[in-house]
Amino acid sequence: MEFIFAGLQKGIALIFSGNAEVFAIARLSLAVSVLATAAAVLAGVPLGSWIAVKKFPLKKLLIAMVNTGMGLPPVVAGLVVMLFLARSGPLGFLNWLYTPTGMIIAQFIIALPIITALSISAMQGVDPKFYQQVLTLGASDWQAIKVCLKEIRLTVLAAVIAGFGRLVAEVGAVMIVGGNIRHQTRMLTTATVMETQMGNFDTAIALGLILLTLSFSVNLALTLIQQGKVQPR
Amino acid sequence: MIKLANLRLGFDTGFSLAVDALNIREGEVFAIIGPNGAGKTTLLNAMALLKKPSSGTLEIMGRDALAPANKMFLRRSMSVVFSQPYLTNDTVSHNVALPLALRGQRDRAAVEEALELFKITHLKDRNAKTLSQGESNRAALARAFVTRPKLVLLDEPFASLDERVKDSIARDLKRVLKASNAAVVLVTQDQGGALTLCDTLAVLVNGKILQQGEPQDVFTRPVSAEVADFVGVETILPGKVTGAQDNLCAVEAGGKTLMVVSDCAAGDSVFVCVRPENVSISLGADAGGRRNNFKAKVVSSAPWGLEYKVELDCGFTLQAAVTKQLVDGLGVKPGAEVYASFKATAAHLIKRIL
Repeated sequence: MEFIFAGLQKGIALIFSGNAEVFAIARLSLAVSVLATAAAVLAGVPLGSWIAVKKFPLKKLLIAMVNTGMGLPPVVAGLVVMLFLARSGPLGFLNWLYTPTGMIIAQFIIALPIITALSISAMQGVDPKFYQQVLTLGASDWQAIKVCLKEIRLTVLAAVIAGFGRLVAEVGAVMIVGGNIRHQTRMLTTATVMETQMGNFDTAIALGLILLTLSFSVNLALTLIQQGKVQPR
Repeated sequence: MIKLANLRLGFDTGFSLAVDALNIREGEVFAIIGPNGAGKTTLLNAMALLKKPSSGTLEIMGRDALAPANKMFLRRSMSVVFSQPYLTNDTVSHNVALPLALRGQRDRAAVEEALELFKITHLKDRNAKTLSQGESNRAALARAFVTRPKLVLLDEPFASLDERVKDSIARDLKRVLKASNAAVVLVTQDQGGALTLCDTLAVLVNGKILQQGEPQDVFTRPVSAEVADFVGVETILPGKVTGAQDNLCAVEAGGKTLMVVSDCAAGDSVFVCVRPENVSISLGADAGGRRNNFKAKVVSSAPWGLEYKVELDCGFTLQAAVTKQLVDGLGVKPGAEVYASFKATAAHLIKRIL
Protein backbone atom coordinates (compact mmCIF):
# COMPACT_ATOMS: atom_id res chain seq x y z
CA MET A 1 0.00 0.00 0.00
CA GLU A 2 2.74 2.33 1.02
CA PHE A 3 4.27 2.61 -2.42
CA ILE A 4 1.02 4.13 -3.70
CA PHE A 5 1.12 6.99 -1.20
CA ALA A 6 4.83 7.44 -1.68
CA GLY A 7 4.28 7.53 -5.43
CA LEU A 8 1.51 10.05 -5.10
CA GLN A 9 3.68 12.26 -2.87
CA LYS A 10 6.66 12.09 -5.20
CA GLY A 11 4.40 12.64 -8.18
CA ILE A 12 2.91 15.83 -6.77
CA ALA A 13 6.40 17.02 -5.83
CA LEU A 14 7.53 16.34 -9.40
CA ILE A 15 4.70 18.45 -10.81
CA PHE A 16 5.60 21.39 -8.63
CA SER A 17 9.33 20.98 -9.15
CA GLY A 18 8.96 22.44 -12.63
CA ASN A 19 10.82 19.58 -14.28
CA ALA A 20 11.52 20.76 -17.82
CA GLU A 21 11.24 17.35 -19.43
CA VAL A 22 7.85 16.62 -17.88
CA PHE A 23 6.53 19.95 -19.08
CA ALA A 24 7.88 19.40 -22.57
CA ILE A 25 6.07 16.06 -22.66
CA ALA A 26 2.83 17.68 -21.47
CA ARG A 27 3.17 20.45 -24.05
CA LEU A 28 3.68 17.97 -26.87
CA SER A 29 0.70 15.87 -25.74
CA LEU A 30 -1.53 18.90 -25.66
CA ALA A 31 -0.28 20.23 -29.02
CA VAL A 32 -0.71 16.90 -30.86
CA SER A 33 -4.20 16.23 -29.53
CA VAL A 34 -5.44 19.79 -29.98
CA LEU A 35 -4.12 20.01 -33.55
CA ALA A 36 -5.51 16.60 -34.45
CA THR A 37 -8.90 17.52 -32.95
CA ALA A 38 -8.91 20.87 -34.77
CA ALA A 39 -8.10 19.20 -38.09
CA ALA A 40 -10.79 16.57 -37.51
CA VAL A 41 -13.32 19.31 -36.69
CA LEU A 42 -12.43 21.30 -39.79
CA ALA A 43 -12.89 18.23 -41.96
CA GLY A 44 -15.50 16.23 -40.05
CA VAL A 45 -18.09 18.89 -39.26
CA PRO A 46 -18.58 20.03 -42.87
CA LEU A 47 -18.34 16.44 -44.11
CA GLY A 48 -20.90 15.18 -41.60
CA SER A 49 -23.23 18.10 -42.30
CA TRP A 50 -23.01 17.51 -46.02
CA ILE A 51 -23.77 13.80 -45.63
CA ALA A 52 -26.73 14.70 -43.40
CA VAL A 53 -28.42 17.21 -45.70
CA LYS A 54 -27.72 15.68 -49.12
CA LYS A 55 -29.54 12.85 -50.79
CA PHE A 56 -27.36 10.34 -52.61
CA PRO A 57 -27.23 6.60 -53.27
CA LEU A 58 -25.82 4.38 -50.53
CA LYS A 59 -26.12 7.19 -48.00
CA LYS A 60 -27.22 4.79 -45.25
CA LEU A 61 -24.29 2.49 -45.98
CA LEU A 62 -21.87 5.41 -45.74
CA ILE A 63 -23.37 6.50 -42.41
CA ALA A 64 -23.06 2.93 -41.11
CA MET A 65 -19.40 2.94 -42.14
CA VAL A 66 -18.74 6.25 -40.42
CA ASN A 67 -20.47 4.97 -37.29
CA THR A 68 -18.27 1.87 -37.36
CA GLY A 69 -15.27 4.18 -37.62
CA MET A 70 -16.17 5.62 -34.22
CA GLY A 71 -15.09 2.34 -32.69
CA LEU A 72 -11.86 2.13 -34.69
CA PRO A 73 -9.17 0.66 -32.35
CA PRO A 74 -6.35 3.23 -32.05
CA VAL A 75 -3.73 0.52 -32.50
CA VAL A 76 -5.23 -0.37 -35.88
CA ALA A 77 -5.22 3.29 -36.92
CA GLY A 78 -1.63 3.54 -35.70
CA LEU A 79 -0.60 0.41 -37.54
CA VAL A 80 -2.09 1.59 -40.84
CA VAL A 81 -0.51 5.02 -40.56
CA MET A 82 2.82 3.44 -39.66
CA LEU A 83 2.69 1.15 -42.69
CA PHE A 84 2.01 4.12 -44.95
CA LEU A 85 4.70 6.31 -43.40
CA ALA A 86 7.33 3.58 -43.07
CA ARG A 87 10.45 4.15 -45.11
CA SER A 88 9.40 1.54 -47.67
CA GLY A 89 5.72 2.52 -47.50
CA PRO A 90 3.86 4.64 -50.09
CA LEU A 91 4.39 7.85 -48.11
CA GLY A 92 7.82 6.96 -46.77
CA PHE A 93 9.47 9.82 -48.68
CA LEU A 94 7.76 12.28 -46.31
CA ASN A 95 9.90 11.04 -43.40
CA TRP A 96 6.98 11.52 -41.01
CA LEU A 97 7.29 8.27 -39.14
CA TYR A 98 8.34 8.84 -35.50
CA THR A 99 7.49 12.56 -35.75
CA PRO A 100 4.74 14.64 -34.11
CA THR A 101 3.26 15.15 -37.61
CA GLY A 102 2.84 11.40 -37.96
CA MET A 103 1.12 11.23 -34.57
CA ILE A 104 -1.23 14.07 -35.52
CA ILE A 105 -2.19 12.17 -38.68
CA ALA A 106 -2.89 9.00 -36.72
CA GLN A 107 -4.97 10.85 -34.14
CA PHE A 108 -6.79 12.74 -36.90
CA ILE A 109 -7.83 9.41 -38.40
CA ILE A 110 -9.16 8.29 -35.01
CA ALA A 111 -11.11 11.53 -34.38
CA LEU A 112 -12.48 12.07 -37.88
CA PRO A 113 -15.19 9.37 -37.78
CA ILE A 114 -16.20 10.39 -34.25
CA ILE A 115 -16.68 14.03 -35.17
CA THR A 116 -18.21 13.21 -38.56
CA ALA A 117 -20.71 10.75 -37.09
CA LEU A 118 -21.73 13.09 -34.28
CA SER A 119 -22.08 15.93 -36.81
CA ILE A 120 -24.30 13.77 -39.01
CA SER A 121 -26.63 12.97 -36.15
CA ALA A 122 -26.60 16.58 -34.91
CA MET A 123 -27.42 17.88 -38.38
CA GLN A 124 -30.11 15.26 -38.92
CA GLY A 125 -31.73 16.65 -35.79
CA VAL A 126 -32.35 19.91 -37.63
CA ASP A 127 -35.84 20.11 -39.11
CA PRO A 128 -35.42 19.62 -42.90
CA LYS A 129 -37.94 22.41 -43.38
CA PHE A 130 -35.70 24.76 -41.41
CA TYR A 131 -32.89 23.94 -43.83
CA GLN A 132 -35.21 24.52 -46.79
CA GLN A 133 -36.33 27.81 -45.30
CA VAL A 134 -32.72 28.97 -45.08
CA LEU A 135 -32.17 27.96 -48.72
CA THR A 136 -35.17 30.04 -49.76
CA LEU A 137 -33.71 33.04 -47.94
CA GLY A 138 -31.04 33.00 -50.62
CA ALA A 139 -28.44 30.68 -49.13
CA SER A 140 -26.15 28.36 -51.03
CA ASP A 141 -25.88 24.83 -49.64
CA TRP A 142 -22.76 25.71 -47.63
CA GLN A 143 -24.30 28.93 -46.32
CA ALA A 144 -27.40 27.02 -45.24
CA ILE A 145 -25.22 24.42 -43.50
CA LYS A 146 -23.40 27.23 -41.70
CA VAL A 147 -26.68 28.76 -40.50
CA CYS A 148 -27.85 25.35 -39.28
CA LEU A 149 -24.53 24.64 -37.53
CA LYS A 150 -24.91 27.87 -35.65
CA GLU A 151 -28.30 26.65 -34.46
CA ILE A 152 -26.86 23.35 -33.21
CA ARG A 153 -23.53 24.73 -31.95
CA LEU A 154 -24.04 23.15 -28.51
CA THR A 155 -24.27 19.67 -30.00
CA VAL A 156 -21.33 20.35 -32.29
CA LEU A 157 -19.26 21.43 -29.29
CA ALA A 158 -20.23 18.16 -27.60
CA ALA A 159 -18.78 16.38 -30.63
CA VAL A 160 -15.56 18.39 -30.24
CA ILE A 161 -15.36 17.48 -26.55
CA ALA A 162 -15.91 13.80 -27.35
CA GLY A 163 -13.23 13.88 -30.05
CA PHE A 164 -10.64 15.62 -27.91
CA GLY A 165 -11.36 13.38 -24.94
CA ARG A 166 -10.68 10.32 -27.04
CA LEU A 167 -7.40 11.70 -28.44
CA VAL A 168 -5.81 13.06 -25.30
CA ALA A 169 -6.29 9.70 -23.57
CA GLU A 170 -5.18 7.62 -26.54
CA VAL A 171 -1.95 5.65 -26.33
CA GLY A 172 -1.87 2.89 -28.94
CA ALA A 173 -1.61 4.94 -32.11
CA VAL A 174 0.92 7.48 -30.86
CA MET A 175 3.02 4.66 -29.44
CA ILE A 176 3.21 2.91 -32.81
CA VAL A 177 3.55 5.98 -35.03
CA GLY A 178 5.57 8.17 -32.62
CA GLY A 179 7.71 5.47 -31.06
CA ASN A 180 7.88 7.20 -27.65
CA ILE A 181 11.23 8.76 -28.49
CA ARG A 182 12.58 10.90 -25.69
CA HIS A 183 12.61 14.65 -26.44
CA GLN A 184 10.85 13.99 -29.74
CA THR A 185 7.66 11.99 -29.61
CA ARG A 186 7.20 11.12 -25.98
CA MET A 187 3.63 11.86 -24.93
CA LEU A 188 2.03 11.80 -21.48
CA THR A 189 0.26 8.54 -22.25
CA THR A 190 3.25 6.76 -23.78
CA ALA A 191 5.55 8.00 -21.02
CA THR A 192 3.09 6.75 -18.40
CA VAL A 193 3.08 3.30 -19.96
CA MET A 194 6.88 3.26 -20.12
CA GLU A 195 7.43 4.47 -16.55
CA THR A 196 4.90 1.96 -15.23
CA GLN A 197 6.65 -0.86 -17.04
CA MET A 198 9.97 0.31 -15.62
CA GLY A 199 8.50 0.33 -12.10
CA ASN A 200 8.86 4.13 -11.68
CA PHE A 201 5.41 4.43 -10.22
CA ASP A 202 5.98 7.91 -8.81
CA THR A 203 6.81 9.33 -12.24
CA ALA A 204 3.93 7.39 -13.78
CA ILE A 205 1.53 8.80 -11.19
CA ALA A 206 2.84 12.31 -11.78
CA LEU A 207 2.36 11.95 -15.53
CA GLY A 208 -1.11 10.50 -15.00
CA LEU A 209 -2.08 13.42 -12.78
CA ILE A 210 -0.80 15.92 -15.32
CA LEU A 211 -2.75 14.15 -18.05
CA LEU A 212 -5.93 14.29 -15.98
CA THR A 213 -5.41 17.96 -15.16
CA LEU A 214 -4.75 18.81 -18.78
CA SER A 215 -7.77 16.91 -20.01
CA PHE A 216 -9.91 18.49 -17.32
CA SER A 217 -8.72 22.02 -18.17
CA VAL A 218 -9.43 21.70 -21.87
CA ASN A 219 -12.82 20.11 -21.25
CA LEU A 220 -13.63 22.75 -18.66
CA ALA A 221 -12.85 25.48 -21.18
CA LEU A 222 -14.95 23.80 -23.89
CA THR A 223 -17.79 23.16 -21.47
CA LEU A 224 -17.76 26.77 -20.29
CA ILE A 225 -18.00 27.91 -23.89
CA GLN A 226 -20.79 25.42 -24.50
CA GLN A 227 -22.79 26.14 -21.38
CA GLY A 228 -22.32 29.88 -21.86
CA LYS A 229 -24.42 29.47 -24.97
CA VAL A 230 -27.23 27.63 -23.25
CA GLN A 231 -30.40 29.66 -23.04
CA PRO A 232 -31.50 30.14 -19.45
CA ARG A 233 -34.77 28.33 -18.83
CA MET B 1 -43.80 36.34 -63.59
CA ILE B 2 -44.33 32.59 -63.34
CA LYS B 3 -45.14 30.47 -66.36
CA LEU B 4 -45.58 26.82 -65.86
CA ALA B 5 -46.53 24.20 -68.40
CA ASN B 6 -47.13 20.45 -68.29
CA LEU B 7 -45.50 20.20 -64.92
CA ARG B 8 -45.33 16.68 -63.51
CA LEU B 9 -43.98 15.73 -60.14
CA GLY B 10 -44.40 12.22 -58.82
CA PHE B 11 -43.84 10.66 -55.43
CA ASP B 12 -43.06 7.12 -54.31
CA THR B 13 -46.40 7.07 -52.55
CA GLY B 14 -48.18 7.17 -55.91
CA PHE B 15 -49.34 10.74 -55.53
CA SER B 16 -48.49 12.92 -58.46
CA LEU B 17 -48.88 16.55 -59.30
CA ALA B 18 -49.94 17.33 -62.86
CA VAL B 19 -50.42 20.97 -63.70
CA ASP B 20 -50.97 21.69 -67.37
CA ALA B 21 -50.65 25.45 -67.35
CA LEU B 22 -50.36 28.23 -64.85
CA ASN B 23 -49.64 31.87 -65.46
CA ILE B 24 -49.00 34.32 -62.68
CA ARG B 25 -48.65 37.94 -63.66
CA GLU B 26 -46.52 40.63 -62.12
CA GLY B 27 -48.14 42.24 -59.10
CA GLU B 28 -50.84 39.61 -58.94
CA VAL B 29 -51.92 37.86 -55.76
CA PHE B 30 -52.58 34.30 -56.84
CA ALA B 31 -54.18 31.97 -54.33
CA ILE B 32 -54.16 28.21 -54.64
CA ILE B 33 -56.76 26.51 -52.48
CA GLY B 34 -57.56 22.87 -52.07
CA PRO B 35 -58.11 20.18 -49.49
CA ASN B 36 -55.39 18.52 -47.45
CA GLY B 37 -53.05 16.43 -49.55
CA ALA B 38 -54.09 18.05 -52.81
CA GLY B 39 -50.48 18.91 -53.67
CA LYS B 40 -50.58 22.61 -52.86
CA THR B 41 -47.32 22.62 -50.93
CA THR B 42 -45.66 20.41 -53.53
CA LEU B 43 -46.58 22.90 -56.24
CA LEU B 44 -45.30 25.77 -54.13
CA ASN B 45 -42.07 23.89 -53.39
CA ALA B 46 -41.57 23.40 -57.12
CA MET B 47 -41.92 27.16 -57.62
CA ALA B 48 -39.55 27.75 -54.70
CA LEU B 49 -37.01 25.48 -56.48
CA LEU B 50 -36.99 23.10 -53.53
CA LYS B 51 -38.48 20.17 -55.47
CA LYS B 52 -37.50 19.29 -58.99
CA PRO B 53 -40.35 18.37 -61.32
CA SER B 54 -39.90 15.14 -63.25
CA SER B 55 -41.03 16.85 -66.43
CA GLY B 56 -42.49 20.05 -67.80
CA THR B 57 -41.31 23.62 -67.95
CA LEU B 58 -41.14 26.27 -65.30
CA GLU B 59 -40.24 29.82 -66.14
CA ILE B 60 -39.80 32.46 -63.47
CA MET B 61 -39.09 36.09 -64.35
CA GLY B 62 -38.42 35.06 -67.92
CA ARG B 63 -35.73 32.56 -66.95
CA ASP B 64 -35.76 28.80 -67.10
CA ALA B 65 -36.18 27.97 -63.44
CA LEU B 66 -35.16 24.36 -63.92
CA ALA B 67 -31.69 25.26 -65.21
CA PRO B 68 -29.22 24.88 -62.33
CA ALA B 69 -27.39 28.00 -63.49
CA ASN B 70 -30.42 30.16 -62.73
CA LYS B 71 -31.15 28.66 -59.33
CA MET B 72 -29.26 31.08 -57.10
CA PHE B 73 -30.38 34.15 -59.05
CA LEU B 74 -34.04 33.15 -58.83
CA ARG B 75 -33.81 32.09 -55.20
CA ARG B 76 -32.42 35.47 -54.38
CA SER B 77 -35.24 37.22 -56.28
CA MET B 78 -37.96 35.54 -54.26
CA SER B 79 -39.00 34.93 -50.67
CA VAL B 80 -40.85 32.01 -49.18
CA VAL B 81 -42.87 32.05 -45.97
CA PHE B 82 -44.02 28.77 -44.44
CA SER B 83 -46.66 28.30 -41.76
CA GLN B 84 -43.88 27.79 -39.23
CA PRO B 85 -41.66 30.86 -39.06
CA TYR B 86 -38.34 28.92 -38.73
CA LEU B 87 -36.42 31.70 -37.03
CA THR B 88 -32.83 31.26 -35.88
CA ASN B 89 -31.73 31.39 -32.25
CA ASP B 90 -30.71 35.03 -32.53
CA THR B 91 -32.15 38.51 -32.15
CA VAL B 92 -35.11 39.57 -34.26
CA SER B 93 -33.05 42.12 -36.17
CA HIS B 94 -30.35 39.53 -36.95
CA ASN B 95 -33.08 37.21 -38.19
CA VAL B 96 -34.51 39.90 -40.43
CA ALA B 97 -31.02 40.79 -41.66
CA LEU B 98 -30.16 37.16 -42.47
CA PRO B 99 -31.28 37.18 -46.15
CA LEU B 100 -29.15 40.27 -46.71
CA ALA B 101 -26.18 38.69 -44.92
CA LEU B 102 -26.49 35.62 -47.16
CA ARG B 103 -26.23 37.94 -50.14
CA GLY B 104 -23.14 39.55 -48.64
CA GLN B 105 -25.01 42.78 -47.96
CA ARG B 106 -25.47 44.96 -44.93
CA ASP B 107 -28.32 47.41 -45.01
CA ARG B 108 -29.48 48.64 -41.62
CA ALA B 109 -32.04 50.94 -43.22
CA ALA B 110 -33.69 48.06 -45.08
CA VAL B 111 -33.84 46.01 -41.86
CA GLU B 112 -35.36 48.91 -39.93
CA GLU B 113 -37.89 49.44 -42.70
CA ALA B 114 -38.91 45.78 -42.79
CA LEU B 115 -39.30 45.74 -39.00
CA GLU B 116 -41.41 48.88 -39.26
CA LEU B 117 -43.62 47.44 -42.04
CA PHE B 118 -44.66 44.57 -39.82
CA LYS B 119 -44.74 46.67 -36.63
CA ILE B 120 -42.07 44.78 -34.71
CA THR B 121 -39.45 47.51 -34.31
CA HIS B 122 -39.87 47.30 -30.54
CA LEU B 123 -38.92 43.60 -30.63
CA LYS B 124 -35.72 43.97 -32.61
CA ASP B 125 -33.31 43.17 -29.77
CA ARG B 126 -35.36 40.27 -28.40
CA ASN B 127 -34.24 36.71 -29.05
CA ALA B 128 -36.54 35.34 -31.75
CA LYS B 129 -37.12 32.16 -29.73
CA THR B 130 -38.90 34.18 -27.04
CA LEU B 131 -41.54 35.66 -29.36
CA SER B 132 -45.22 34.75 -29.38
CA GLN B 133 -46.65 32.96 -32.42
CA GLY B 134 -48.03 36.13 -33.95
CA GLU B 135 -44.78 38.02 -33.34
CA SER B 136 -42.77 35.16 -34.88
CA ASN B 137 -44.96 35.26 -37.99
CA ARG B 138 -44.42 38.98 -38.25
CA ALA B 139 -40.67 38.48 -37.95
CA ALA B 140 -40.77 35.81 -40.68
CA LEU B 141 -42.71 38.18 -42.94
CA ALA B 142 -40.32 41.05 -42.25
CA ARG B 143 -37.44 38.71 -43.11
CA ALA B 144 -39.21 37.77 -46.35
CA PHE B 145 -39.68 41.37 -47.44
CA VAL B 146 -36.31 42.81 -46.38
CA THR B 147 -34.83 41.94 -49.77
CA ARG B 148 -37.71 43.60 -51.65
CA PRO B 149 -38.51 40.36 -53.49
CA LYS B 150 -40.14 40.33 -56.91
CA LEU B 151 -41.96 37.14 -56.01
CA VAL B 152 -43.33 36.03 -52.66
CA LEU B 153 -44.50 32.48 -52.01
CA LEU B 154 -46.70 31.99 -48.96
CA ASP B 155 -47.46 28.49 -47.72
CA GLU B 156 -50.33 28.58 -45.22
CA PRO B 157 -48.78 31.65 -43.63
CA PHE B 158 -51.47 31.96 -40.97
CA ALA B 159 -52.20 28.30 -40.26
CA SER B 160 -51.00 28.35 -36.68
CA LEU B 161 -52.62 31.64 -35.65
CA ASP B 162 -55.86 32.42 -33.90
CA GLU B 163 -58.50 34.45 -35.72
CA ARG B 164 -57.78 37.83 -34.14
CA VAL B 165 -54.01 37.72 -34.68
CA LYS B 166 -54.53 36.38 -38.19
CA ASP B 167 -56.75 39.32 -39.09
CA SER B 168 -54.28 41.91 -37.92
CA ILE B 169 -51.32 40.25 -39.66
CA ALA B 170 -53.32 39.71 -42.86
CA ARG B 171 -54.19 43.39 -42.88
CA ASP B 172 -50.53 44.43 -42.58
CA LEU B 173 -49.51 41.87 -45.18
CA LYS B 174 -52.09 43.15 -47.62
CA ARG B 175 -50.86 46.70 -47.13
CA VAL B 176 -47.26 45.64 -47.74
CA LEU B 177 -48.25 43.62 -50.80
CA LYS B 178 -50.12 46.56 -52.31
CA ALA B 179 -47.08 48.77 -51.86
CA SER B 180 -44.50 46.23 -53.04
CA ASN B 181 -46.07 45.24 -56.35
CA ALA B 182 -44.55 41.79 -55.93
CA ALA B 183 -46.27 38.79 -57.43
CA VAL B 184 -47.62 36.59 -54.68
CA VAL B 185 -48.54 32.94 -54.64
CA LEU B 186 -50.62 32.05 -51.60
CA VAL B 187 -51.29 28.44 -50.80
CA THR B 188 -54.00 27.79 -48.26
CA GLN B 189 -56.88 25.62 -47.09
CA ASP B 190 -58.53 28.67 -45.65
CA GLN B 191 -61.01 29.99 -48.22
CA GLY B 192 -61.75 33.10 -46.20
CA GLY B 193 -58.06 33.92 -45.97
CA ALA B 194 -57.62 33.42 -49.71
CA LEU B 195 -60.64 35.61 -50.46
CA THR B 196 -59.41 38.51 -48.37
CA LEU B 197 -56.06 38.60 -50.15
CA CYS B 198 -56.21 37.27 -53.69
CA ASP B 199 -56.89 38.58 -57.19
CA THR B 200 -56.96 35.17 -58.81
CA LEU B 201 -57.94 31.87 -57.33
CA ALA B 202 -57.06 28.35 -58.43
CA VAL B 203 -58.56 25.20 -57.00
CA LEU B 204 -56.18 22.26 -56.72
CA VAL B 205 -57.61 18.83 -56.02
CA ASN B 206 -55.72 15.53 -56.27
CA GLY B 207 -52.71 17.17 -57.88
CA LYS B 208 -54.70 18.85 -60.64
CA ILE B 209 -55.85 22.42 -61.06
CA LEU B 210 -59.57 22.09 -61.65
CA GLN B 211 -60.42 25.73 -62.02
CA GLN B 212 -58.83 29.12 -61.93
CA GLY B 213 -60.22 32.61 -62.27
CA GLU B 214 -61.58 35.50 -60.26
CA PRO B 215 -62.51 34.26 -56.81
CA GLN B 216 -66.18 35.21 -57.20
CA ASP B 217 -66.38 33.24 -60.43
CA VAL B 218 -64.83 30.18 -58.89
CA PHE B 219 -67.19 30.28 -55.95
CA THR B 220 -70.36 31.04 -57.89
CA ARG B 221 -69.67 29.01 -60.98
CA PRO B 222 -67.62 25.97 -60.04
CA VAL B 223 -66.83 24.06 -63.22
CA SER B 224 -67.16 20.63 -61.67
CA ALA B 225 -68.73 18.82 -58.80
CA GLU B 226 -65.27 18.35 -57.27
CA VAL B 227 -64.69 22.09 -57.15
CA ALA B 228 -68.20 22.73 -55.88
CA ASP B 229 -67.65 20.08 -53.26
CA PHE B 230 -64.54 21.80 -52.02
CA VAL B 231 -65.64 25.42 -52.21
CA GLY B 232 -69.11 24.55 -50.91
CA VAL B 233 -70.37 28.09 -50.79
CA GLU B 234 -71.68 28.95 -54.21
CA THR B 235 -73.25 32.30 -53.85
CA ILE B 236 -70.77 34.95 -53.01
CA LEU B 237 -71.61 38.60 -53.35
CA PRO B 238 -69.46 41.62 -52.70
CA GLY B 239 -71.31 44.03 -50.46
CA LYS B 240 -71.14 46.65 -47.76
CA VAL B 241 -72.56 46.54 -44.24
CA THR B 242 -74.92 49.49 -43.93
CA GLY B 243 -76.21 48.80 -40.46
CA ALA B 244 -75.51 46.46 -37.59
CA GLN B 245 -77.47 45.87 -34.43
CA ASP B 246 -77.24 42.98 -31.98
CA ASN B 247 -75.11 41.02 -34.46
CA LEU B 248 -77.71 41.38 -37.17
CA CYS B 249 -76.20 43.17 -40.15
CA ALA B 250 -77.95 44.82 -43.03
CA VAL B 251 -75.78 44.31 -46.10
CA GLU B 252 -76.16 46.17 -49.34
CA ALA B 253 -75.30 43.70 -52.10
CA GLY B 254 -76.36 43.29 -55.70
CA GLY B 255 -78.72 46.25 -55.36
CA LYS B 256 -80.66 44.54 -52.55
CA THR B 257 -80.47 44.63 -48.80
CA LEU B 258 -79.67 41.31 -47.15
CA MET B 259 -79.95 40.53 -43.46
CA VAL B 260 -77.12 38.41 -42.09
CA VAL B 261 -76.14 37.43 -38.57
CA SER B 262 -72.51 38.44 -38.12
CA ASP B 263 -70.29 40.48 -35.83
CA CYS B 264 -69.23 42.85 -38.62
CA ALA B 265 -69.72 46.57 -38.12
CA ALA B 266 -71.41 49.16 -40.28
CA GLY B 267 -69.11 50.30 -43.04
CA ASP B 268 -67.24 46.98 -43.40
CA SER B 269 -66.69 45.67 -46.91
CA VAL B 270 -67.71 42.04 -47.02
CA PHE B 271 -68.49 39.04 -49.16
CA VAL B 272 -71.90 37.54 -48.47
CA CYS B 273 -71.72 33.76 -48.75
CA VAL B 274 -74.76 31.53 -49.05
CA ARG B 275 -74.67 27.79 -49.42
CA PRO B 276 -77.12 26.52 -52.05
CA GLU B 277 -78.71 24.00 -49.70
CA ASN B 278 -79.78 26.85 -47.43
CA VAL B 279 -81.89 28.54 -50.10
CA SER B 280 -85.58 27.66 -50.33
CA ILE B 281 -87.81 28.18 -53.32
CA SER B 282 -91.59 28.80 -53.20
CA LEU B 283 -94.26 30.14 -55.48
CA GLY B 284 -95.93 32.39 -52.92
CA ALA B 285 -94.37 35.48 -51.30
CA ASP B 286 -94.67 34.01 -47.79
CA ALA B 287 -91.13 33.34 -46.64
CA GLY B 288 -92.16 31.58 -43.45
CA GLY B 289 -90.15 33.89 -41.19
CA ARG B 290 -86.97 33.86 -43.27
CA ARG B 291 -85.46 37.32 -43.22
CA ASN B 292 -84.26 37.27 -46.79
CA ASN B 293 -86.95 36.83 -49.39
CA PHE B 294 -86.57 37.88 -53.01
CA LYS B 295 -88.61 37.63 -56.13
CA ALA B 296 -86.51 35.67 -58.59
CA LYS B 297 -86.43 34.40 -62.11
CA VAL B 298 -85.12 30.89 -62.79
CA VAL B 299 -82.08 31.07 -65.05
CA SER B 300 -81.28 27.39 -65.21
CA SER B 301 -81.98 24.15 -63.48
CA ALA B 302 -79.89 21.00 -63.67
CA PRO B 303 -79.48 17.74 -61.75
CA TRP B 304 -76.75 17.94 -59.12
CA GLY B 305 -76.07 14.76 -57.30
CA LEU B 306 -79.34 13.63 -55.69
CA GLU B 307 -80.76 17.13 -55.94
CA TYR B 308 -81.24 19.83 -58.51
CA LYS B 309 -79.22 22.96 -58.69
CA VAL B 310 -81.20 26.01 -59.66
CA GLU B 311 -79.62 29.28 -60.67
CA LEU B 312 -81.82 32.23 -59.78
CA ASP B 313 -81.69 35.87 -60.78
CA CYS B 314 -82.86 38.08 -57.93
CA GLY B 315 -80.99 41.13 -59.11
CA PHE B 316 -77.94 39.12 -58.11
CA THR B 317 -77.23 35.51 -58.92
CA LEU B 318 -78.28 33.07 -56.25
CA GLN B 319 -77.70 29.31 -56.36
CA ALA B 320 -80.20 27.00 -54.76
CA ALA B 321 -80.13 23.25 -54.25
CA VAL B 322 -83.59 21.72 -54.07
CA THR B 323 -85.17 18.28 -54.34
CA LYS B 324 -86.46 16.84 -57.57
CA GLN B 325 -89.98 16.69 -56.14
CA LEU B 326 -89.91 20.41 -55.51
CA VAL B 327 -88.58 21.15 -58.98
CA ASP B 328 -91.38 19.06 -60.50
CA GLY B 329 -94.07 20.31 -58.12
CA LEU B 330 -93.30 24.01 -58.56
CA GLY B 331 -92.63 23.72 -62.27
CA VAL B 332 -89.16 25.17 -61.88
CA LYS B 333 -87.77 25.76 -65.36
CA PRO B 334 -85.85 28.57 -67.00
CA GLY B 335 -87.95 31.74 -67.11
CA ALA B 336 -90.30 30.74 -64.28
CA GLU B 337 -90.98 33.31 -61.58
CA VAL B 338 -90.49 32.14 -58.00
CA TYR B 339 -89.55 33.44 -54.56
CA ALA B 340 -86.20 32.57 -53.08
CA SER B 341 -85.57 32.86 -49.36
CA PHE B 342 -82.92 32.08 -46.75
CA LYS B 343 -82.48 32.76 -43.05
CA ALA B 344 -80.23 35.48 -41.65
CA THR B 345 -78.25 32.71 -39.94
CA ALA B 346 -77.90 30.74 -43.20
CA ALA B 347 -75.60 33.29 -44.80
CA HIS B 348 -72.22 34.33 -43.50
CA LEU B 349 -69.97 37.31 -44.08
CA ILE B 350 -66.28 37.29 -44.97
CA LYS B 351 -64.71 40.59 -44.14
CA ARG B 352 -62.63 42.05 -46.97
CA ILE B 353 -59.46 43.88 -46.13
CA LEU B 354 -58.99 47.12 -48.07
